[in-house]
Amino acid sequence: MSTDLILQPTDEQRMMVDTTIRILESESPLEAVRAAAEGSEPSSAKLRHKLGDVGCFGVLVDELRGGGSASGNGVVDAALVAAERGARLQPGPYVGTSVTAHTLSRIGSQAWHGVLGTLVSGHAAATWAVAGLNGHALKVCSEGDHLVLDGVAEAVQDADECDHLLVGVASATGVVHVMLGLPDPRVTLTRLGGIDITRRFFDVRVDRVAVRFGHTLAQGEAGRTLLDRQIAVAAVLGAAEAVGAMDSDFRLAVEYAKTRIAFGRPIGSFQAVKHLLADTGLKLEMAKALVADAAFAVGRESEDSAVLASMAKAFVGEKSIELAHNCFQVFGGIGYTWEHDHHLYMRRLASEAQLFGSPAWHRRRVWDQASNTPTHP
Amino acid sequence: MSERLPQIVEYRREARNWLESNLDKKEHHAPRPTITGNGDISETKLAAQRALQRKLFDAGYAGISWPAEFGGQGLPKTYERAFAAEARGFVLPNFGVAGRTTFGVCAMTMLAHASPGFLKRHIPRILAGERLFAQFFSDPEAGSDLAGVRTQAVRDGDRWILNGSKIWSSGAYYADYGMCLARTDWDAPKHRGLTWFAVPIAADGVTVRRIRQINGDAEFCQEFFDDVVLGDEDVIGEVDEGWAVARTMLLFERGGGATETVARGTGDARVLAPDLVDLAATADRLGDPAVQQAIVRRHIDDIARRGLDRRIASVVSADPVRGSAFASYGKLASGTFDPIRANTALEIAEGAATTWPVDSDTGRPPRVALDFLDSRFMAIAGGTNEMQRNSIGERVLGLPREPSFDTERPFREVIRSARNWSGKVG
Repeated sequence: MSTDLILQPTDEQRMMVDTTIRILESESPLEAVRAAAEGSEPSSAKLRHKLGDVGCFGVLVDELRGGGSASGNGVVDAALVAAERGARLQPGPYVGTSVTAHTLSRIGSQAWHGVLGTLVSGHAAATWAVAGLNGHALKVCSEGDHLVLDGVAEAVQDADECDHLLVGVASATGVVHVMLGLPDPRVTLTRLGGIDITRRFFDVRVDRVAVRFGHTLAQGEAGRTLLDRQIAVAAVLGAAEAVGAMDSDFRLAVEYAKTRIAFGRPIGSFQAVKHLLADTGLKLEMAKALVADAAFAVGRESEDSAVLASMAKAFVGEKSIELAHNCFQVFGGIGYTWEHDHHLYMRRLASEAQLFGSPAWHRRRVWDQASNTPTHP
Repeated sequence: MSERLPQIVEYRREARNWLESNLDKKEHHAPRPTITGNGDISETKLAAQRALQRKLFDAGYAGISWPAEFGGQGLPKTYERAFAAEARGFVLPNFGVAGRTTFGVCAMTMLAHASPGFLKRHIPRILAGERLFAQFFSDPEAGSDLAGVRTQAVRDGDRWILNGSKIWSSGAYYADYGMCLARTDWDAPKHRGLTWFAVPIAADGVTVRRIRQINGDAEFCQEFFDDVVLGDEDVIGEVDEGWAVARTMLLFERGGGATETVARGTGDARVLAPDLVDLAATADRLGDPAVQQAIVRRHIDDIARRGLDRRIASVVSADPVRGSAFASYGKLASGTFDPIRANTALEIAEGAATTWPVDSDTGRPPRVALDFLDSRFMAIAGGTNEMQRNSIGERVLGLPREPSFDTERPFREVIRSARNWSGKVG
């Protein structure tokens, strides 16, 4: 069953979603996700190949560069995939790979054509580390005809299973974007503990990596524009993943309320429980509507797309935590156990809310980019 | 038949010509509508609206899609929409809330249920602007529990004698008739034994009292009926089958209700809630990060509600039955977020929301104070938040119903045993 992020998908989108769901449910059902999480294993390369085969990693890539969207709006397509992945708590750096592929497609340089091809086909994965979103301790300075990256990018998703690291870091004149191949002797990964056990996070120490000026993806003002685009795409896809997870947790809670008997009645017949679920359903439907609107806007690159993306991420970040609490309350004691799946969703939602910008961070961004508020001094 | 219809392009052109030579152009930039509050409808204003409606009626632009045998034009809805689109920039009759009730709810319900004789007597007059209907639906003792009405009509020879009281009837103080739900059989279960009547407000025994509301307005009314004499020709639909009529009415009411909610941000999402930004500017708090975050939160809620409205419309168009249940999300969103928004405005405005100079331009309290007092309107009117949550829980999420104490037994007995409530079932 799909998450229904949008209610009137095109035939191509419906086919893409159905195919994605079929692959996820046969290759990576929740029991397998749970087992991998408990074993601390990286995500499955075989699954990635299969998803690449059906075009899941190419929807944000220009057709001329080997990609292609299902509907003409690649961000909506990617959000639909993200929602179904989130609904099944899929591991793996989907957002990072998507943002990287999208970035390389927009840069358009022939030099990256080969790498882009492997990302689209699912034969390589990438993760994205951006200073100011996931941590600040990465710096760039220029030395001669080189830029030198040095420091730590914090909490980078799935860095150990990725072939590429896309780095964005503020410089004196704008934002510098650089691709690094992994593994690299100058790049050290330190595994972090994390609340979301279905995903793996690393501090990435970059030890004086020099990049020739001509070898950056973008820098200066162009780099700043690119960063805005990347943040908008990541915000929409992250929010879509969260909405998928919200939808699944909520379905479980509604189902539980129908079948759990107390005081001679299914607990869902009590207004205290029924009303809590109705309020939660409202937030979920609003979240779906807002994420869908943001996805359409970012895909069309409308002028308010950056603001809508941040609004969606902020709303979902907050309401998803509220939803997890409410579902937990309906589950009661069973929700407190390791064996029940609820905690996997709750962990994911808590993590997703902070990833690629917290709700408060995105709200600040909305304020700063609004057209009827005074700009900061 | 169809070849005799005017071409829609031709129809539009004629309508445009007629509008330009007969109606006034609308002044631009109406202020953001309040949650309730339509202002008083004076006798003079009412007479002017009746004249304007008559003009439309005489020209064949009233009831464009309504049946021709009852005074309408019998044209497809597309013509009605075409006329509405052309007329958007013109001053149309505005009968206030009773106008919306008459044309959007009562007449539509009558067309679905009333006898041809009834419709011939009433609908042409409605279309000509001579007859406004208010809804006499809720009793003082039956609000959310709509079917629990105790206002009663008792058979007396070939007449009906109406006694009781109705409340929350919007605009009844200037309406001509009330569409009234009364109990006609006390020995039937609650939902059976109900009948609808058209009650002339000028009839002997009808008293209308305006209710002064929390915001100072007096748009709602209460009516008292003392031995009001009605005839069989006043019955709408079948005797004792009034609940079926009520269900139709609720559908129209919910459809129409959507237009009354506070207009939400349209277009560019970069324009943050202008009223809240203005309040913050006035209070010199635009630089306060707490205020900034609060405004952005409310702006996000506004835009998410806009998206939800579209999502609901999409469900309704794909599946009207599921849609009618799903639409409760929109009502619950209003009932939930209107108060939150009003509270935020109060927090931003600080003292300016609670005290103000008495010699202000309008003589009315500032908007922020009125919005606050008004903000629970959608949480209560037309089915409380709790009713929406029940409806969502049972009809959208498929949760089991509560045990019911009043659906099978005679209503007379239900009232009696409720007075001696023990908590035991059966």
